[in-house]
Formats: sequence, structure tokens, C-alpha cells
Amino acid sequence: MSKTVHLKVNGRSHDVSVEPGTRLLYVLRDNLGLHGPKFGCGLSQCGSCTVHLDGEAVRSCILPVEAAEGHAVTTLEGLGTVDRPSPLQQAFIDEQAVQCGYCINGMIMTADALLKKNPHPTRDEIKQALDGNLCRCGTHMRIVRAIERVAKAGVPA
Amino acid sequence: MNTRRRDIIVPSELSDLGASRRAFLKTSGGLVLGFSLLGPAAAMAAMRELPLDTSVAAMKGNGAFAAVDPAKLNAWIAIHPDNTATLFTGKVEQGNGAPNALLQIAADELDFPYEHFYLVMGSTTETVDQGPSYGSMAVRYAGPQIQHAAAAGRQVLLDMASKHFGLPVDKLTADAGVITVAGASGKSITYGELVGGKRLDVTIGASGETFGMKVAPNAKLKDPSKYTVIGKSVLRKDIPGKTTGEFTFMQDVKVPGMLHGRVVRPYGVESQLLSVDETGLKDIPGFVRIVREKNFLGVLAETEWGAIQAAQRLGSKLNRKGPDDGLAKWSDWHGLAATDEVWDAVRKAPGKPESVAKHGDVDTALKSATRTLKATYLTPFETHGSIGPECAIADVSKDKAIVWGGTQMPHQAQRDLAELLGFPVDKVEVRWVEAAGQYGRNGLEHVMADAAIMSRAAGRPVRVQWMRWDSHGWDPKEPAIVQELEGALDAQGNVTAWRHHMWVPTMSDTRLLPSELIGKPVGKVNLGSAAIGYEYTFDNADVSSHNESRVGVITAWMRAPGQYETTFAMEAFIDEMAAAAKQDPLEFRLKYLKQPRTIGVLKAAAKLYGWQPRVAFSAGKQATRKAKGRGIAWVNRDDSLVATIADVEVDQQTGEIRVVRVVVAHDNGLVISPDGMRNQIEGNIIQSMSRTLHEEVTFDHAHVTSRDWAGYPILRFHEIPDSIEMVLVNNSPEFMSTGGGEPSTCPTAGVISNAVYDAVGVRLRQKPFRAERVKAAMAAA
Repeated sequence: MSKTVHLKVNGRSHDVSVEPGTRLLYVLRDNLGLHGPKFGCGLSQCGSCTVHLDGEAVRSCILPVEAAEGHAVTTLEGLGTVDRPSPLQQAFIDEQAVQCGYCINGMIMTADALLKKNPHPTRDEIKQALDGNLCRCGTHMRIVRAIERVAKAGVPA
Repeated sequence: MNTRRRDIIVPSELSDLGASRRAFLKTSGGLVLGFSLLGPAAAMAAMRELPLDTSVAAMKGNGAFAAVDPAKLNAWIAIHPDNTATLFTGKVEQGNGAPNALLQIAADELDFPYEHFYLVMGSTTETVDQGPSYGSMAVRYAGPQIQHAAAAGRQVLLDMASKHFGLPVDKLTADAGVITVAGASGKSITYGELVGGKRLDVTIGASGETFGMKVAPNAKLKDPSKYTVIGKSVLRKDIPGKTTGEFTFMQDVKVPGMLHGRVVRPYGVESQLLSVDETGLKDIPGFVRIVREKNFLGVLAETEWGAIQAAQRLGSKLNRKGPDDGLAKWSDWHGLAATDEVWDAVRKAPGKPESVAKHGDVDTALKSATRTLKATYLTPFETHGSIGPECAIADVSKDKAIVWGGTQMPHQAQRDLAELLGFPVDKVEVRWVEAAGQYGRNGLEHVMADAAIMSRAAGRPVRVQWMRWDSHGWDPKEPAIVQELEGALDAQGNVTAWRHHMWVPTMSDTRLLPSELIGKPVGKVNLGSAAIGYEYTFDNADVSSHNESRVGVITAWMRAPGQYETTFAMEAFIDEMAAAAKQDPLEFRLKYLKQPRTIGVLKAAAKLYGWQPRVAFSAGKQATRKAKGRGIAWVNRDDSLVATIADVEVDQQTGEIRVVRVVVAHDNGLVISPDGMRNQIEGNIIQSMSRTLHEEVTFDHAHVTSRDWAGYPILRFHEIPDSIEMVLVNNSPEFMSTGGGEPSTCPTAGVISNAVYDAVGVRLRQKPFRAERVKAAMAAA
């Protein structure tokens, strides 16, 4: 039996009718049409599905949608747009820190959460924060440089 | 780029899809392409208002999907009224930026601003078959085709302007999409105004096929000294949307009315499907049906979550306990070589001999040598491991099909799907949409077949996405390779004999897995081959291969297929010879090389690194816990030369290897986008470090057991080097552009193995170099 779940995503309220236990990722992607978070493993191993729950980076592929009720969900789309990218998104563009780009959602969402807690992380702190995020193309060097740009500039992510 | 929402838009008149889409592009300018003068957001808003009708049932008449005629200018280029333009290419983006380089070439040769030039890639009714996007061949082969088409286009536009102004062409100049009359200030016309929304229906000529196709043979190319876009590090067009979630990946495409599908693969590689209890699925909300054809099993549901749950009940899960674990029951099959038995299986497989090089008399030289060396190098099966598992959508009716996929070979996929479905080729359209990076032939062709089989059964569009264990468990693998090397030195430390023999299972098994499962095989199981760039000048040498068919599981090319492995063995063994001869490993190599560009990259890398000659491990065991070492190796992969040097630290207690500094000299001739190439080289280095240090597919006797990122670990952020420095050698128009997508993958395993020897005096001859293996090797030394 479906039930109605009330979600607040990127500042907007949504009532969605879903099966209990449905993972948040599928609700965001299929019901709300948000493509920032990606299915990568469904096992919380790669980080492609990362979203923010009250500012914390979480893996939406294993999170039952009910667990997001009453919390503010933010996806990559909530940070900025191509016309108005966030400073961190702009840094990824400036560093050309993308190859295929499928993992980039997780990289930006994880780094954004880090920078909001620790605006000036060291390179080691950045690497530590991203250690649970996998990139298969080998864009790591540029991803670190993009985050360092924001960390050094001292602007909010 | 074209992978945005436009790819899910279908005109209502499907009987002449290609032509109508082209007409649509023509009248709407860059609008549909996402990055128009209106700005991407406005363009995307406009796109969403376009009609969406993707049901094959809505097709009118029996018209076929027309192929594109490469002899026409409009096969390659469209100029829109707002003075934007579109380049059409059969090459596709896989994350490496190569199609973006093609766009740069076209922009330069057409004298059109890169900023207003957009790309349409891959779709079979919109683009010419320029061959698959593999083997570092896009710029090398498709580049000249597009360059000639664009040059012909520039000439056509000048001729049109000549008529428009009533002046000879030599009084006109073309620059940045505007043609200006010489001397008469203010007299000019844009390409867009000149073309006036018409198709560029002009014959420019074409002959040959795919990689060998010659386009517009009479076009006059620009003097390279006048290049303004080629050689510039332009910003890639796809990157902004990939940082904001606005880019549409294959995994993001939705088609109205589509069902969600998941596959349930056999328990064992060749298990037979015995029974399926469908009644146990009825209570799953949204469950529609199963699709069962011989050993093919899939589920369909209205929701993705419903499909996942149904597949799980049938047995699709990470750790299936046996052939009876789930509502689908499979026969117990145990015919696979387990992880440690792989090498024997490869050695014993039947095959055909291939000789790469044979000089002098190796056996006699070995007998009379002062010193001989012998070593076996083992490299395991590897998985492509795309971060986004394979995904496709198919809409199959009784005599036509549209299939959306991210394949690196959409035109070949069209032919294969037609064979699978029993349709004429022109009744199948492949709409290409970029997927997650694939690094070779992963499962993207196979998942298109999955979707086609399930859509055919359901009579509705079906989206299939593999689960992580489907991808790790069943994507075509890079094969395990066994290599034996033997060498001889004389009293002066000169090489007097060199033997390198390899056992290579196929890297070109294009059999579609779902077609095997339904018992109607499509594709070919070819033989392996000796992928090696042997250039040493030893007097007595024998380099050969035993080329085999499928060994165990489907294997298909993965980034620098075979050559990553053969370069490891060749470059580690020459290092063993150098150490035995008590000579500096760079100087030792240079004694036996004569190709100037090979010597050039080795010297360029040595210069950038600051190489000082010394014998490897000559100082003996280091007292510090972390021992430091350096290694060098090089490759010639299809005329691209790469030399790599790296510094490593080996933790003498744990065996953990850390690569600290990497230096690369890369000669692939003229580089279209230096930053794009650097991005590729960094990617090759990091990915090949990952392959070297961590990657190995494991098996039991039934199936792949490394079915997730825990079982198949890849490199993580804490392991990346402090720096990857590089120099682009011979980056100049007099040197033809060869490939950059793969070559710098090849030297890495040799470099790291050699650096570990320099650090701790231990030779690593079996990949991966995981800490426990290194520790065991040090303990045994």
C-alpha cells in the first residue's frame, strides 16, 4: 500500500505517494525528477547518490524515504544552476574537474558539506572527507584542486 | 550538448525521423542544444514544451529510419538562423572529451566561433557511422573527416556569399561566422543570414567506410599557422551541466509509458534456468510481469523500487547463497576456473600462434650467455567498473524498434539489435545518450539487448538499469594474461637474447550476453592478440603470442586492452635485466632503442623528473620504515609515445605502496586541447594506478565473486600522488595527432613494479600489488 510522504527538498515542499521503504534516491529521481543524485551501487559504497539531510552528506540509495521526513533535503540542483553556479560548482568548472561526470554529484555534495563545517580544510582533510567517494575516471587531482580553490578563497561554498 | 533533454524528444512524424529532426534543428537554431544564446536555462525551459511522443505504435506508415549520407555537407554541419551551428558526428563522448576536440577542429576549419557551435553525437538517424569510439582513435581518424567537411563547408559559404554580394570569392574573408567584403567597411553577412534556415544540401563527396572514410577530398584545408581554436585549452561544453545536475545522462532519460526492468542473471555462468515461481511476486506493489526466454530472466514493474524488489526475490542480490536461493531455480554449474586456477586455464586454452618479432637465434644465445634471467608475469581479469551501472531504454513494436543507449558504438549496436530482433537494420534506431564513463566495451551494448528483449515481450517501452552486482558480475572483462620472459646477458652486461611469450584470451568477444541467454547468439567471439609495441633492437629476439578464444567469461577491450599488461611485463623485465647488468635503467633502455620519438619521450621525462643515473636498489635495504624508490617505463601505443617516471614509498611493515610523484612525457603529435589532454593523462595515470595496486576480478567455480566495490576495490583519495607533472612532446602541426585516450595507461604497472624494486629490492610480477602481496614478497626475499 502506498502512503503519502511529506518531503522538503531544495526548499520546496512535496507530498509524494510511494511504497513504504522506498529508498529516497528513487523518490528524488523518479517522483521529483531530480537528476543530481545518481544510482551508483545501491550499497552505500560509492557516494554517487549523496544528498544533504539538514546539511549532512548522506547516501540516498539506502535511506528509506520516511527517514527524510521532517528534515531539509538538499540535492545538487539546490546548490546552483548552470546560469548561477555555486562557488564550488564554479570551481569544478574552472578546474575542468570532470571527466564523465557521473560521480561529480557525490564529490560536490560531500565537499560542500565539508566546507560548510570547515571552510578552510587542508589537502589532507579534503582527501579524508572524500575517501568514501569513488571516481572511476581518475579525476581525483582536479577534484581536490577545485575544492582547494574554494577553501583558499575563503568564500562560502 | 546533445545529451540533454533533446534526446528524448521525438517529432510526431516518425517515418522520416532523421530528416524531420534535422529540419527541426535547422529552424530552432541552437535552442534545442542546450547552450544557446538564450542561455541554458531558457533553452531547457523551451525544450520541455516540445511534444513528447515516443511510442512506436504512433508511427505513421512503414517508413524506415533513414541513414545519413556522408557525401552531403548537411550530414556534418547545420548552420542555424541565429548564427549558431551544429556539428554531427558518429563519435561519442565517454567522459574523455574527444568529441569536444572534434568540435574544436570543425570550428577552426569552418571559421566559426566555438562558443556557438554545438555537438550532436552518435544517434543512427542523425550521424554518419565513423566507426566505434574506441582505441584512442577519435581525433586521429574522425578528425580529418570532420576537418575536411568543415573546410568544404567554409568554401560553400564563401561561394554563397560571392553570389550574394556579386563579388569574387577572393574579395571576401570568412572569420568567426561572418563573411566580410574586403575593403568595403560595414559590408558583411553572417553565416546564419546567408544560409537562411536552409539545409546545406550540397554534395562534398565521400568514399570508404568508418575509420577509413575520406570526406570532401577536394576541400582545401587551412594553413596550420592560422589555427585559432586547435591547440587551445577551451572549456568543455558538457562540464557546467554535469556540476549542477542539469546534464542528462542515459540513466536520467525517461520515456512516457515506460516500465522499469531489472535482470536476474544465472547463478552460474552457464547455469540453466529450471523454474520460476512468479506467484511469489504478485504482492509487490507495481509488479507487472516477469520476462523469461530460455535462460534470460527479467522483471518489469511500474516503479523502479518494485522492479528491484521483484528481482531480489527471484535471486538478484549481492550475495546469492546458491542456485536455489530465490524464486528462480538454476542448475548447479561448476565449470569456471576459480581465482587461483585462472592462470592454468589461460595456459591450457587452445589458441593460434602469432609472431611479433623474430631476430637471430635466441636459443643459441641463451646457451652461450654469461647470465640468464627468466620470469613469469601474471595479470588478472579486470572489470570496467563504470560508476554508473549500465542502463538503456527500448521501445520495440512488432516491426520497429527505438533503443536509447550510451554505447561507444551506436551504429554497430543498431546492426546487432536488428539481428537480435530479426528486423532489417533500417527498422532499428539507436538514440545515443551519454552514460557514465565506460573505458572500453563494458555492458552498455548488452543492456540495450536486455531492454529490447523485455520491451518486445511487454509491448511497452522498458528501461533497464543493472544493479551493481550485475555490472561487476557480468560486464565483459579484460582477460587474464600470462607472460613468460627470458633474457641473456654477456660478460659486459649487454643483452644477447630476449624472449617474450604471452598467452592472451580474446579481448574481442562481442557476443551479446542476453542473446546467449535467449539461445540466439549475436556477435562474434574473436581471438586474442599480442598487443605490444616492441621496439628494442636486441640481436636475438623472439616475441610471440598464443591467441585464444573465450576463457571462462565474456571478455572485451578495456582501456589499452592487452597492451597495459604486455607493457608491464616488457618494461619490468628489461628493468630486471638492467639491474642484473648493474646499469642505470634509463641508460640501459636507451642502448637498445633507435626510434627518435621513443628516445625523445624517455629523455623528456628524465629531464622533467631530474633523473640522475644510478643502478636500481644499489644502496640496498633502507633503514627507514618507508623505503623510497623510483621507476621508469615507456610505451608506443599506436604511434603515441609515453614515458612515465614515478617515485614511490613502500611501507616495509605493511607492504603498502604509495605513489608520491608521477612525471609523464607524452608525444601524440598535435594536441587539439592541451588541458583536455592533461585531464586524460591524469585520468589514465590514476586509473592505471588503481588497476596496478588494487584490481582483480575473483571467481569461484560458478561465477564472479567480486561483485561490488568491497570485493573489487579501486583507488581512493588518500592514495593519490602529490603531483602528476607532464610535458607534451612534439605538440605541433607537423606531427599528426594520434591518440591520447589510452597510451599513458600502459607504462604504469611497470613503473610501479620497478620503483618498488628500487625501494625494497623485491620484484612484483603479479598484479595487483596489494599490501599483503607486497608484504609476503618482502618476507620471502
